Amino acid sequence: MRHLLSYLIFTPLLAAVVGLLIPATQKNTFRVFALLISIIQIVIMVLIALHYEHHDGIQLSERLPWISMDLGQWGTMKAEYFVALDGLSFPMVALSVAIISIAVISSWTIEKNQKGYFILMLILNGAIMGSFCALDFLLFYVFFEFLLLPMYFLIGIWGGPRREHASIKFFLYTLLGSILILIVIIALYLSFQDPTSGKVLVHTFNMLHMQNPENIIPGSILSIDSTDLLGPYSYRLWAFLLLFIGFAIKLPAVPLHTWLPDAHVEAPTPISVILAALLLKFGAYGLLRFAYPIFPDGAIYFSWLVGFVGVVSIIYGALNALSSKDLKRLIAYSSVSHMGFVLLGLASITVEGVTGAVYQMFSHGIISAMLFLITGVLYDRTHDRLIANYSGLASKMKVFTGFVLIAFFASLGLPGLAGFIGEVMILFGAFLSQKANGLLPIWMAIVATFGLLLGAGYYLWTIQRMFYGPFSVKIPAAEMNDLNHREYVMLLPLAMAALFFGVLPQTLLNFINPFAQQFVEALFKSASFINP
Amino acid sequence: MTETIHSAASLWLALSVLTIPLFSALVCFVISEKFAWLSPMVSSLLLFITFICSAFLFFQVGDSHALTYSWPWFSVNENIIRASLLLDKHGLIMVMVVSLVSFLVHLYSIGYMAEDQALIRYFGMLGFFTFAMLGLVMSSNLLILFCFWELVGFSSYRLIGHWYEKQEAAKASTKAFLINRVGDLGFLIGLMILWSWLGNLDITYLNLETIPTFWLTTAGVCIFIGVIGKSAQFPLFHWLPDAMEGPTPVSALIHAATMVAAGVFLLIRIESLFTENTLVIISVTGTITAITGAIGALFQYDIKKILAYSTISQLGFMVMAIGAGAAQGGFLHLLHHAFFKAGLFLGAGAIIHAMHQAYHHQEGNVDVQDIRNLGDLRKKIPITFITFMICSAALAGLPFTSGFVSKELILTQMNEWSGNAFSWKWLVILGAWVVTLLTPVYTFRMVWFIFFAKSKHNVEMVEVPIVMRLSMFVISMSSLALLITFKPFHILTIINVLMSLYPNTSHLITLLSTLILLIALVSAFFMYKNYELKDQNKFLTPNLYLDWLSDYAFKLVLQFAILVHWFDRKVIDKIINGLTYLQVGIAHVTGWSDRYLVDGVVNGMAYSAKGIGSVTRSLANGKIQSYLLWAMAGLLIFILWILY
Repeated sequence: MRHLLSYLIFTPLLAAVVGLLIPATQKNTFRVFALLISIIQIVIMVLIALHYEHHDGIQLSERLPWISMDLGQWGTMKAEYFVALDGLSFPMVALSVAIISIAVISSWTIEKNQKGYFILMLILNGAIMGSFCALDFLLFYVFFEFLLLPMYFLIGIWGGPRREHASIKFFLYTLLGSILILIVIIALYLSFQDPTSGKVLVHTFNMLHMQNPENIIPGSILSIDSTDLLGPYSYRLWAFLLLFIGFAIKLPAVPLHTWLPDAHVEAPTPISVILAALLLKFGAYGLLRFAYPIFPDGAIYFSWLVGFVGVVSIIYGALNALSSKDLKRLIAYSSVSHMGFVLLGLASITVEGVTGAVYQMFSHGIISAMLFLITGVLYDRTHDRLIANYSGLASKMKVFTGFVLIAFFASLGLPGLAGFIGEVMILFGAFLSQKANGLLPIWMAIVATFGLLLGAGYYLWTIQRMFYGPFSVKIPAAEMNDLNHREYVMLLPLAMAALFFGVLPQTLLNFINPFAQQFVEALFKSASFINP
Repeated sequence: MTETIHSAASLWLALSVLTIPLFSALVCFVISEKFAWLSPMVSSLLLFITFICSAFLFFQVGDSHALTYSWPWFSVNENIIRASLLLDKHGLIMVMVVSLVSFLVHLYSIGYMAEDQALIRYFGMLGFFTFAMLGLVMSSNLLILFCFWELVGFSSYRLIGHWYEKQEAAKASTKAFLINRVGDLGFLIGLMILWSWLGNLDITYLNLETIPTFWLTTAGVCIFIGVIGKSAQFPLFHWLPDAMEGPTPVSALIHAATMVAAGVFLLIRIESLFTENTLVIISVTGTITAITGAIGALFQYDIKKILAYSTISQLGFMVMAIGAGAAQGGFLHLLHHAFFKAGLFLGAGAIIHAMHQAYHHQEGNVDVQDIRNLGDLRKKIPITFITFMICSAALAGLPFTSGFVSKELILTQMNEWSGNAFSWKWLVILGAWVVTLLTPVYTFRMVWFIFFAKSKHNVEMVEVPIVMRLSMFVISMSSLALLITFKPFHILTIINVLMSLYPNTSHLITLLSTLILLIALVSAFFMYKNYELKDQNKFLTPNLYLDWLSDYAFKLVLQFAILVHWFDRKVIDKIINGLTYLQVGIAHVTGWSDRYLVDGVVNGMAYSAKGIGSVTRSLANGKIQSYLLWAMAGLLIFILWILY
């Protein structure tokens, strides 16, 4: 039981190797195989949940030496295999296990080169788990880069007509972000030492050490008493900015979001689901896990900027969604808007805001997965996603319309469904910020509420155009049957989860609350250590 | 004033009042298509049980202290948000009204919706609405109240769009939800202010001393914006006339009796939150709404739209009363209005239903909701006529009806509030009197053209089914003041509680208002006696340009959104693409230089080596003569070098 996390990470990676041995002619075995692995992971996840205790520390941790290189007078470079869970990563890992299982079921209709597809899915699976569990910055980076590769191929080979363009755009964009992060990792490596190693200088990537500003090597590039400036800012502030830009690309935040609509429109449905529900979360996760705790001074200094980018993303994404003619593009832009909320909550550095941000990450995972599955249902029937080509679907596809209503209303923040809790907490936190810590002006929270209005606008308008009115579909020979069993099995658990986490938020907040409290407390504590 | 519930019975009753309608909705949604006909019966029965429970609850708690019960919903930052029930006098009366009207509307719908294709959806949403409305009335935490507030809006959205295949219904439902959302943003901002100052949103525990007056006023105004949206106040009222696209029983329940009254109810619930300035804004908004609504009702031709404008006007009247220190009268009027307006809508529904049946076999398309196509119906459908007349009398405020009592009370209390010195308050009072004058006029106009004026069409009509007549009868009886003002059943607590709401009204005001009523009715009679209704009055009918304004706002936002989208696709994306192309261009340049410059130099060196090689190679050509020649030349050079 001590190695549950490793089982979770390496089961799919090992399975990918085993899968390579199965001949490609055994066509349908691969999907059953992938589903089996997902079921095993669900079992492991249940065991993890049973072993998890609600307190603010890390749990189920595993530490093994990984790289240890003696560099003579430069000290020792040390990277560890260090995985663990806390109140931030537990919800994310649980979400990943669930979403990937559903994505595998959604991949049932893939015909083209099944072997390649499902093996790439398994690699993606393992890399996602690894990234969410890793507490060593280098290990995180390796897992994280590792997952871009299968993603690139999955979009580039199994995608829509403009898949090459989309996949290259996706890859270049995220690679740019990764390079910015890598620069900071190198600087961090040069500046942090392992306090447990005694007199020997050991450079570490361990997150627990990096969160503590006492471990900064005096006189190093990121040391707190360094007065060197590069342009207007010190190196520490630059490092925060680089991390912020790097993770903002993944989030994605305006104006670095343009890869998202293209990637979503071209990606096959299951990949869109994983992209929206899980990959976008790495942006916010990276900020919460690395950028904010390591550079609390930067986080406070740039909180206005982060909040502003958040508000702009909320409104800008919503406006773009309102004028999108393609359903999938609309949903992609709505993701930009919802991730803007996460940024706003984070920027406030209040317990409410941070709790809301994590909750929003989780609920957006559920809801966006549902939204993309819904577009997939339509696309499977007609190979067309233009809103104007549909009308009156509600009278032909009754069950489907029910799920659409749940997904749309959850996304526009109807109370009782999961989207509401996160957004309300973020708004409370953002508004509170001026009074509590003076970081964000009040107008940001007020402008952000208009995101809720615009959200209602584009979803209801879509329902009015596509689902209400007399039935007509402008695609010849399209049979608009209601949901089949497979689609039902995918959508039902997500709808139930959206309802469950809207009505009983405490089940999730039990995990998030201790984390958020400790996060805010520790952040201000180390900020006051850095700038007394 | 509050105490935790000690008797488990009250708690269980309260919980069952709340959950039975939800259960009814669930039953409707899980029932199979084959047994769809069962859902009206089952849900009506369940709603009847709800009503019984609410009555028991009322008697159980009665006039005693308010009871609260709460349990934690979720916690953040060590503040626990508690889901809490607040059972006080106002709340419990409201619970009874909601469950009774809802039950009657369910019963009525059995007949009205009998031929509908989507019974399950209809009764399911009706049950869900009742659940949300009861939750709104009973919850004491403002965040939970907000949740139910939005859920009520959601069910209203679904029910307005019940016949979604009609474009108008689809549009009206979207419009209703969006305009409500505008108000809800205000509500949410109000909650944000309260949270940031108090860290607690429970009405019973608001510690208002810690919050500066400016912020308290702002919070009050923001929450009032929510009320403006939900209770159809100026300038967000134009969704309500459009909402009449929904089935008529829905209009009776949601858009007359309960949901739109929720805003007024909220004002009473959080009265302690309002400062002087907030109350000014509330009373002025209410007055404007009351007058514009009454004028609007004078110029409509669609029965349901007349009633919708009348609802706007009456809601404005209540809001004005609350802003002008007549909260008690406002609440009483809310209760009375719920019954007589629901009765009017059910009557209108009966007329529409009967006319539809009558025109069923005829050719052509006659708009049966248009009062110009009606007339002389009093003999054809006498029972509908009687119930409609009773409710109209209550609306107009005739003596011996419920409307009269609450109107008197409001006017009296407002008179005390305004004082003797002249101030802006007199304008509000003037507004109130104008509304009491206009209300009988439009009521008379409506009744006259439906039941008395000569009909253009002569058709055979039959009365509506018994379930519909029964619910109309019950609801109109409750509008008669006899049942609630006199005390024939003195033992019943209900009367005692209600009686405590009736203070003495001043005789002068009673006299004055009766006089105004008489003037209004007489002048209306002579005005409309020989009057022919012309075509639509273009000047006033399109919702006083508010429709135009909100459509324009929507178009503006849409245009802006399209512009933003263009910017996104053509500017930001192009810049990013441009950067990539720039990089590709640089790569081409370096590639070219690599191929032609770097590679050229290397190749050049290779070629030169080759050239030199071939020259030297040509020297070694194997001819004795040339070897001798080169040897001689070499020797010559050597000698020359030694010599010099």
